[in-house]
Amino acid sequence: MDLHILNYRLRVTSINTAGLSRYTHALIKLVFLSNQTRCKFFSLTETPENYTVVLDEEGFKELPESEHLQVESDIWLPLNVLCDRNASSSSDTVGVTKIATSVIIPLAEQHVSVFMLSTYQTDYILVREKDLPVVIHTLEQEFAIYREVGGETFRVYSEDTDVEEDRKEAVKMKVHPVLSPDNRFSVMSLDPATLPTIATILIDVLFYSNCSAEVENYASLGLDYIKFFSFSLIDGYISIVMDTETQRRFPRELLFTSSSGELWRMVRIGGQPLGFDECGIVAQISQRLAEANISAYYISTFSFDHALVPEEDISYVIRMLEKPLTEL
Amino acid sequence: MSGSKPDILWSPHHVDRYVICDSELSLYRIESVGTTLLAINSDTPYMKCVAWYPKPEPECLLAVGQANGRVVLTSLGQSHNSKCKDLMGKEFVPKHARQCNTLAWNPVESNWLAAGLDKHRADFSVLIWDISSKFTLETSVTAEKIRLSAGDTDSNLVVTKPLYELGQNDACLSLCWLPRDQKLLLAGMHRNLAIFDLRNTSQKMFVNTKAIQGVTVDPHFHDRVASFFEGQVAIWDLRKFEKPVLTLTEQPKPLTKVAWCPTRTGLLATLTRDSNVIRLYDMQHTPTPIGDETEPTIIERSVQPCENYLASFAWHPSSQNRMVVVTPNRSMVDFTVFERISFAWSSTTSLMWACGRHLYECTEEAGVSSTEKDISTKMRDRALSRYGHDTEQVWKNHLLAGGDDSQLKSLWYTLHYILYMYVLQKPLGNKHPIVYSGIKNIVKSGSGSTENARCWNGSELKADVIRYHNEERCLALQLCGWIKKGPEIHVEPFLQCLEQEGEWERAAAIALFNLDIRRSIEILHKGATSEKGDLNLSVVAMALSGYTDEKNSLWREMCSTLRLQLKNPYLSVMFAFLTSERGSYDAVLYEGRVAVRDRVAFACMFLSDSQLPRYIDKLTIEMKDAGNLEGILLTGLTKDGVDLMESYVDRTGDVQTASFCMLKGSTGEVVKDPRVQCWIENYRNLLDAWRFWHKRAEFDIHRSKLDPSSKPLAQVFVSCNFCGKSISYSCSAMPHQGRGFSQYGVTGSPTKSKVTSCPGCRKPLPRCALCLMNMGTPISSCPGTAKSDEKVDLSKDKKLAEFNNWFTWCHNCRHGGHAGHMLSWFRDHTECPVSACNCKCMQLDTTGSLTPSDTAQ
Repeated sequence: MDLHILNYRLRVTSINTAGLSRYTHALIKLVFLSNQTRCKFFSLTETPENYTVVLDEEGFKELPESEHLQVESDIWLPLNVLCDRNASSSSDTVGVTKIATSVIIPLAEQHVSVFMLSTYQTDYILVREKDLPVVIHTLEQEFAIYREVGGETFRVYSEDTDVEEDRKEAVKMKVHPVLSPDNRFSVMSLDPATLPTIATILIDVLFYSNCSAEVENYASLGLDYIKFFSFSLIDGYISIVMDTETQRRFPRELLFTSSSGELWRMVRIGGQPLGFDECGIVAQISQRLAEANISAYYISTFSFDHALVPEEDISYVIRMLEKPLTEL
Repeated sequence: MSGSKPDILWSPHHVDRYVICDSELSLYRIESVGTTLLAINSDTPYMKCVAWYPKPEPECLLAVGQANGRVVLTSLGQSHNSKCKDLMGKEFVPKHARQCNTLAWNPVESNWLAAGLDKHRADFSVLIWDISSKFTLETSVTAEKIRLSAGDTDSNLVVTKPLYELGQNDACLSLCWLPRDQKLLLAGMHRNLAIFDLRNTSQKMFVNTKAIQGVTVDPHFHDRVASFFEGQVAIWDLRKFEKPVLTLTEQPKPLTKVAWCPTRTGLLATLTRDSNVIRLYDMQHTPTPIGDETEPTIIERSVQPCENYLASFAWHPSSQNRMVVVTPNRSMVDFTVFERISFAWSSTTSLMWACGRHLYECTEEAGVSSTEKDISTKMRDRALSRYGHDTEQVWKNHLLAGGDDSQLKSLWYTLHYILYMYVLQKPLGNKHPIVYSGIKNIVKSGSGSTENARCWNGSELKADVIRYHNEERCLALQLCGWIKKGPEIHVEPFLQCLEQEGEWERAAAIALFNLDIRRSIEILHKGATSEKGDLNLSVVAMALSGYTDEKNSLWREMCSTLRLQLKNPYLSVMFAFLTSERGSYDAVLYEGRVAVRDRVAFACMFLSDSQLPRYIDKLTIEMKDAGNLEGILLTGLTKDGVDLMESYVDRTGDVQTASFCMLKGSTGEVVKDPRVQCWIENYRNLLDAWRFWHKRAEFDIHRSKLDPSSKPLAQVFVSCNFCGKSISYSCSAMPHQGRGFSQYGVTGSPTKSKVTSCPGCRKPLPRCALCLMNMGTPISSCPGTAKSDEKVDLSKDKKLAEFNNWFTWCHNCRHGGHAGHMLSWFRDHTECPVSACNCKCMQLDTTGSLTPSDTAQ
């Protein structure tokens, strides 16, 4: 299998809802006028708490400083797994589940904190730049690791062999409470050429969302509702995660999704904001999903982690995640 | 495309039809002039790519890849026949919607259609659809999950199960089937080029690269593939797939299309965004030196079909050099890519040029006399007539040159006089004889001259002219050929000589300039009465006899105006001289049609010490600028002369005359001048190129006589097999080092001691493979010669016999022997005479198969 360290240096930021108006200009530029910025990696996820923006350094320059903008201090590097050397190795499970055992769990064992970002096209595993030597050392047995330098892709090897092996103490897995709202999500894509067509709807959804109607609507049915919307524009590819209520507002023929029209339910991990230092959160979820052979999307945000699982598997997943870790 | 940029797609079976696709599909027919729109199809929105069905039936079936990944079959301008109807509107839908980037029909299994899609985390990006597959409704289990909107498409026509799925979790940007095997598919994936083999889909061959767009196979060379990334094109050889065999120079703007020319081998056309030029790369098939790093030669050029930016282009599938381009606003230009023409002159006068697949030769028609012959023809003819080789009567060389070139005539006479004077002066022991340095230097070196007013000879009229005289002026007159020797000015022999040649006017003029008006009239009279004489000359003689020294006479007035109507320049200057004021002879001196030597001689007689050098300098500059060989009289064989000759060679290309002329210069500096050496070498090369090897050898001999420094040193030595020393070692003390060979070639006298062993170590020299005698043994004394008739042959031609004694050997197998033996052996055999050696020695010698062109001489 190949692992590519992509040539982006990413910042993870959060804009709180109150300060959004200060940032709409920058965000609209990054979303719709990407050819006027040099930003190649941009992801915006709206949660009830805040807006999480992950973007490369070029894009980061567009964001003005203010007390509403929180920035995680480290530089993050995206990793991308290409498991395609053997074309026939297709299993039904996809996404985080597939790379769980090979990447996420070994990294968790090395106390490497990861930030996950799944899109319609692929899954990105973000690691801190300072952890890179450990990451390479840990994963090079399993993967051929490539890194792009000056436009050319080169295979990289662990530089020094004396990376501290003694970090392998037992990982203390903390069980986080999980929350599963009742709204259903789809993961979609869009031809970038048609982005202007849906610009007004997208702006409306992103910046003027007033989900009280949906909340009430769901509440009246005795259901939980959570506002969650994610938009990413990475390497020119658009990926959008939104719930079915929001999806209705878009012209159907423009959005790409699977022909089977599969829908996903969300599991939100964490009662308190998780922070960036705890490791093993993604691992404990994905490991159990992998064992059950359930495919999933996983989107980390500034405060919480979100896993999307097929709607028919949600009850099983909830049950499984609520089990104590000792049963693993 | 995507509604903005039109692309052109040529019909695979109708050379006159193509489709322009942007937001809709338009079918055009191309005619000799202009195009006709045949049909429009706007059924398929969100078009991203189009591919034309490769088989002739159904005729105009197109597959359209859409922005959502669906592939739709459609057609254009078809009467709806049944076969096509089944397929129309058929849709192939991937599991997860994303843009369809590329489509490729399998050229053999024509119902296979490969589609390349964007990346999806859980899906494949290369789908191969079978267009003939039955419309399978999904099974009930999955049907439950299908939430396809009602009425979206006629579900009967939807195919969702591809034949092959390749490239999981990857993006495919370009595709092409490889002609090597119908089941090989080359795909430009997200970060690599991959070759999928459908016989074993679990295996793929791939190479990591960024150049993954627009993969296309060279139609003439199936292992050669082009792909691009941004502004750079990479050329791949599938047999050595690890890295590009070459990359073309990067363009500042990203490329949009790259296409091999279907009618020419190794010609690639590329187009970049926002550009109005198409760049062509001609990859030559020249054999390159062995080694991985060498790149084949590429000739790059560009064509600009129109002023506007181009959206796309397409080669015409059959007519060579034809291309159609389309601009973003859909205007089309049908244009011709002009051939790159390469041409070469041959060493004879033919010109050859190559244009496309044609080779043209243009030769000078033999026997055309109306136009002047090319200088190469002239030089060739002159070389054959031994031009330049007459060292006894140097002036005769101009006759060898054809005798029809006044400049050459003047040159050779000048050289003749110079050499003649040199011989006369030689006893003086002058180290640097002044005769070589030209009249320009001679008159400058002169001391003051004596003036004397002279009277007309044989006339009582008083001449109002002053003649100047000194030793140098006298020498100049000799060089001009007017007099044989000084100090007396005695032109009578020269006049007689001119009379013999029938140069009446010139003789009359010279007689007049020598103030002998009676002799002049006599000459004119002789001229008028001679066999082919001009009767007008007696009229001129009559006019001449009326000469009067009265200043304001009618005679003077008439002569000075009417003389301009005289066609002959000498007659004209005669009257100019008679009517001119004392000391101002411009009408004579600047009469360009009068030979330089006559004007110079005239100047030496009548110009004062201050006027003369000025006039000579002026004339010299004029001659140098014009490259006129008559000027050699003034410059002599000096650096000035080389300058003059340089401008002559620049004007005519006649290195032959230049070489021979400069070799006559006895001063070393002139011959050592790099320009002179360059002419000589070029002339030698020219002789070699004509295969005038004997002429070249003759020239070399001639050259070494005149310029002893040109003798080449021995460059080849034969070393002994045993001690490694040169076998000519022993004679190195001898003066003729370069002739070491002839010592062993046995110079003809059998009494000379034969050297058959190495002078260094006394070991025997190699033996002749035929007679088994040691090297150094003459062939004539060799008893073992096989054929008796050969002996007779050898004795016939003594010169040849000497050559037969030479030793020669093959540079490949190192076997050899006496040249005579070897020649006779290879007359009947192709292989080496040494048994068990099957070296084809004679065939390895490429020049050996050529024959000299000048053997007849």
